[in-house]
Amino acid sequence: MKIAVCLKRVPDTTAKIVVGGDGKSIDESGVKFVPNPYDEYALEAAIALKEKAGAGETVVVALGTDAAQETIRTALAMGIDRGVLLQSPGSADGFEVAKAIAAELKGQGYDLILFGKMAVDDYNHQVGVMVAELLELPCVSAVSALTVEGGALTAEREIEGGVEQLACQLPAVVTADKGINTPRLPSLKGIMAAKKKPLETKPVSLGAGSITVTSLALPPERQAGKIVGEGPDAVPALVQLLRTEAKVI
Amino acid sequence: MTRILPVKHQPGLPLDRLIKAEAPGAEAIEMDVLFVGAGPAGLAGAIELARLAKADGSLGDLNIGVLEKAGGLGEHNLSGAVVNPRPFRELFPDVPVEQLPFRQPVSGEAVYLLTEGGSVRIPTPPTMQNHGNYVASLSEIVRWMGGKAEELGVNLFAGFPVDSLLVDGTRVVGVRTTPAGLDREGNPADGYAEPTDLSAKVTVLTEGTRGPLAQAWRQWRGVGSPNPQIFALGVKEVWDVKKPLDRIIHTLGWPLPKDAFGGTFMYPMGPSQVAIGLVVGLDARDAGLDVHELLQKTKLHPLFRSYLEGGELVEWGAKTIPEGGFYALPDRFSGDGLLMAGDCLGTVEVASLKGIHYAVQSGMYAARAAFQALKAGDTGAAKLAAYDEMLRGSYVVADMKKRRNMRLAFKNGFYLGGIKSVLMTLTNGAFPGGQIHSESDAEEPREVRPRTPFVPDNTLTFSKVDAVFKSGNATRDTIPSHLVVGSDVPPEVADFLSHVCPAGVYERVGDELRVNPPNCVDCKATDVVGPRWTPREGGSGPKYRVM
Ligand SMILES: Cc1cc2nc3c(=O)[nH]c(=O)nc-3n(C[C@H](O)[C@H](O)[C@H](O)COP(=O)(O)OP(=O)(O)OC[C@H]3O[C@@H](n4cnc5c(N)ncnc54)[C@H](O)[C@@H]3O)c2cc1C
Repeated sequence: MKIAVCLKRVPDTTAKIVVGGDGKSIDESGVKFVPNPYDEYALEAAIALKEKAGAGETVVVALGTDAAQETIRTALAMGIDRGVLLQSPGSADGFEVAKAIAAELKGQGYDLILFGKMAVDDYNHQVGVMVAELLELPCVSAVSALTVEGGALTAEREIEGGVEQLACQLPAVVTADKGINTPRLPSLKGIMAAKKKPLETKPVSLGAGSITVTSLALPPERQAGKIVGEGPDAVPALVQLLRTEAKVI
Repeated sequence: MTRILPVKHQPGLPLDRLIKAEAPGAEAIEMDVLFVGAGPAGLAGAIELARLAKADGSLGDLNIGVLEKAGGLGEHNLSGAVVNPRPFRELFPDVPVEQLPFRQPVSGEAVYLLTEGGSVRIPTPPTMQNHGNYVASLSEIVRWMGGKAEELGVNLFAGFPVDSLLVDGTRVVGVRTTPAGLDREGNPADGYAEPTDLSAKVTVLTEGTRGPLAQAWRQWRGVGSPNPQIFALGVKEVWDVKKPLDRIIHTLGWPLPKDAFGGTFMYPMGPSQVAIGLVVGLDARDAGLDVHELLQKTKLHPLFRSYLEGGELVEWGAKTIPEGGFYALPDRFSGDGLLMAGDCLGTVEVASLKGIHYAVQSGMYAARAAFQALKAGDTGAAKLAAYDEMLRGSYVVADMKKRRNMRLAFKNGFYLGGIKSVLMTLTNGAFPGGQIHSESDAEEPREVRPRTPFVPDNTLTFSKVDAVFKSGNATRDTIPSHLVVGSDVPPEVADFLSHVCPAGVYERVGDELRVNPPNCVDCKATDVVGPRWTPREGGSGPKYRVM
């Protein structure tokens, strides 16, 4: 079985974000970058599927700047066989990213193409599904359990108040949600081995796209809690504040 | 008055866990040289060794590994820091000084004696002059050095703490890493990763301040020192500020009691950031002395407040500093298959509060000795002793010798200490002749004095809980405890520990000691005077970016 996993390098979710001078990008200086956590589920799923099958190839594809090589190495250290970096600064228009990734994957004989259900930096939820469409493959999104057998997959999705089970023939695209697995940490041996695994670099140029980011702002700072009084006597003051300050009623 | 003798309540070092008479397992990763700890000492050593091997060529590519307990490089490194660039120039001859990972040159300096509301500028003692030095963040230096090491083919293993040294007879033959993914009771749970063994012809301990492996090795090999090592605790914060600081500031006096040794510092880190910190000897008489709280009070002093007001706390951290100096250096720096460099050896000069460049330089010497030994095909104690000779003959030990009694003079109180230290400076360390003897910090008796609780304002001053959050510590709370606590902890000792620990790991609840291990930021302060710190799952602890 040949499996591709698409991976994005994103700021650590605990990083303190500062908006850059242009007002529409983040200031990357001093920020730690990590593999997109949802993509880590996809990586683990790919490695586990190959281990179970006992044969096959796993390939990680990342679109990003040269800095993403480090992210790819992490995937290789976890156990992915080889990496491809599509060198590009990226685009706010997920469709442009999807086109570049689809072009890389097309005709390579992948049985399964895995994504995280979204990237935590832009919350777009788009690229995986668009790639599926561009490759004319079925797509199961936000999968929380996955098995592959006899050229078909079965998947579970957590939906409001329940679980949905789906089946689908391969080749297919799957985007991974939390709960699908616990991604392994790279082992020492894995880190050593990763240094010797192939990592191919291909420059790509993305189209202009039709979406642009116009501005980026941090959420309003959380104000310190206010104690307006105690017991029933405080109710009028509370109602007043909820009206005038918080504007929720 | 209630008195406490900390050593009475301190468990011994868990030697059987730290030193294991076992061969590396069949699956062990084979290395030529292993550095334990990716601080300035370990990384400088790895870089120097890789370069020596390349230049010489006769041994081919050496397998060099650096194991680091932090999840990412630099995340467990904390310093002031005013850095002397001397060994960096030697280690990176092709990098112009402006491109070294420093924030800015020292543009001016001032030393003040503080009183509660005022300050008197005093002449800068010669030991505290910093012209030609640079202000930097050690986390940033370490990340940059890591990149250089990687380019040279060094294997960097971040997130892999060393749990024990593997030994055969008197020789260190490798290390074992800590397991990950244990539950609170220490049983394998989800995400369990078993320990890995690594073999090495030379193991270089560069584990930093109060390193348990270096302590264990010395205890096991019976390597003493003229005086025991003594420590100070430094608590530091980095702030974004609106008003730029134009000089480095050191202060003495308030808020410390007269019988505590230490002082504060404030350094500019570019136009809109400053570092502020307080360093206090862990031999302070007052059992209620709390370095975190005192730093909070310090920030309210007009001298500092004027910079911090309207600014924002970016990061908080804490770490100990070995302050024993020359007389606390071990009798040997090396053994069979083993070398020690940097803070775990004790290469800090206290009067100038400098350790980074000594760590780098000692790491480089260790690399040279290791390389010569590998070339000779003999990494035994006799060959590796070339390191002792190099380091003892260098400016590192010479500087420490010049200031050999400086810190010890303060053992008898601050003012007398001040006078003595002036005489020592004038006589290049010859006054008062001989060695001032000292006890370990745990053997210094403490007095329980009345204290008023401190209430943070959450604008300029913060509680320990908020501080730990600002260290980036996100250790999972189901981790087994890595702290070895004595069985007999009376309430006043619980109180004492709650003040020594800057991170709220220890609390007194009723008459009991409560321990919150996930809070730990690996500063090692309580290891010095109380419960023992041991390595825990990789990636635990703080995630410093700019310390
Ligand atoms: C508050 C403060 C202010 C200071 N100010 C200055 C200053 O202005 N100028 C100056 O020159 N010096 C200063 N120093 C001293 C200086 O920071 C140290 O001397 C220096 O960091 C020592 O370098 P090192 O490589 O020996 O240790 P460290 O920098 O501590 O590095 C040791 C590394 O080993 C890792 N490690 C530890 N145990 C293990 C294990 N079991 N397995 C794997 N990894 C492990 C640690 O995580 C760490 O990354 C200051 C120190 C403090 C605390």
